[in-house]
Amino acid sequence: MTKKIDVVKNVLDANDEVALENRKLMQQYGCLSVNIISAPGSGKTTLLEKTIVGLGGAKSAVIVGDLQTARDAERVADVAAVVQINTEGGCHLSAGQVAAALEKLDIRNAALDYIFIENVGNMVCPSGFDLGEHYRVAMLSTPEGHDKVAKYNTMFQPADVILLNKIDLAEVLEFDSSCIRDDLSKINTRAPLIELSAKTGEGMDAWLAWLKNAKAKLGSSK
Amino acid sequence: MHEMSIAVELLRELESLVETNDVKCVTEFTVSAGQLRGIVPEALDIAFASLAADTCAAGAKLILESVSTVAQCQQCQHRFSPGEDYYLCPKCNQADVEIIEGNDIILKSVVCE
Repeated sequence: MTKKIDVVKNVLDANDEVALENRKLMQQYGCLSVNIISAPGSGKTTLLEKTIVGLGGAKSAVIVGDLQTARDAERVADVAAVVQINTEGGCHLSAGQVAAALEKLDIRNAALDYIFIENVGNMVCPSGFDLGEHYRVAMLSTPEGHDKVAKYNTMFQPADVILLNKIDLAEVLEFDSSCIRDDLSKINTRAPLIELSAKTGEGMDAWLAWLKNAKAKLGSSK
Repeated sequence: MHEMSIAVELLRELESLVETNDVKCVTEFTVSAGQLRGIVPEALDIAFASLAADTCAAGAKLILESVSTVAQCQQCQHRFSPGEDYYLCPKCNQADVEIIEGNDIILKSVVCE
């Protein structure tokens, strides 16, 4: 006998509920979390190495998502506590993976100031999954081309801050940052655009100031 | 291939429905998916079919409905459907929106035996 069942159930509720718990937990322990989304090779790991050093005495941890290898985790291990998540082919991190990583980091006792979640390098899939971060960072680098904000607008629309990395290469690549600004004027006027080079340090002050300000706001809302 | 994660969640829901509704298997189910999810129907079909083999939803037909995006301007609260100008509010010319529709993936109904 055939039976039709009406359901109306959001299938991502399970992820979103865990994300909410992650956010509350990090808030409770005064730990600012950012989820960094970009294409592979845009410089997420270098940005984090320089950012964590730049934050001086603050205590940071990194949750790194990659399909395979612990190469990124090894790079940041000198400057921060780190948990590597290998997704074994999965194209984005999920809230459950981050929840498990927070336990590994011993969030309740570690007295962390910042948690940086380095999502799997991908401009499409990670955007649709809330991990429980306080802020979403979308990063583009100049070698990827100035047309990418419009092409991958679902990554840039929900971002709280947008980073343009590798600006030291802008001239040689004939990168037109006005194209980025024009596209952002139609996609996201809420998020500040910070142009920087993690390699040379240019623009890093603005990014570090944004982080410190976000951390201060988190503290005052506790 | 975020379709795989979505297929995992769909299968989880279907298996739980079969357990709680005194039925044996799923033959067909309808999913409405927001446009912004960027689901490729063929990719979701393949992901689901491979995951569901040897489960109570093996061979079930997946009917996918697309839901258009609706955005709400966070400056003036105007609701609109994003078009050529992406998320630019036609009333106040800002691009600061909350997505009201277009992000959900809803399991709407299931046909069981």
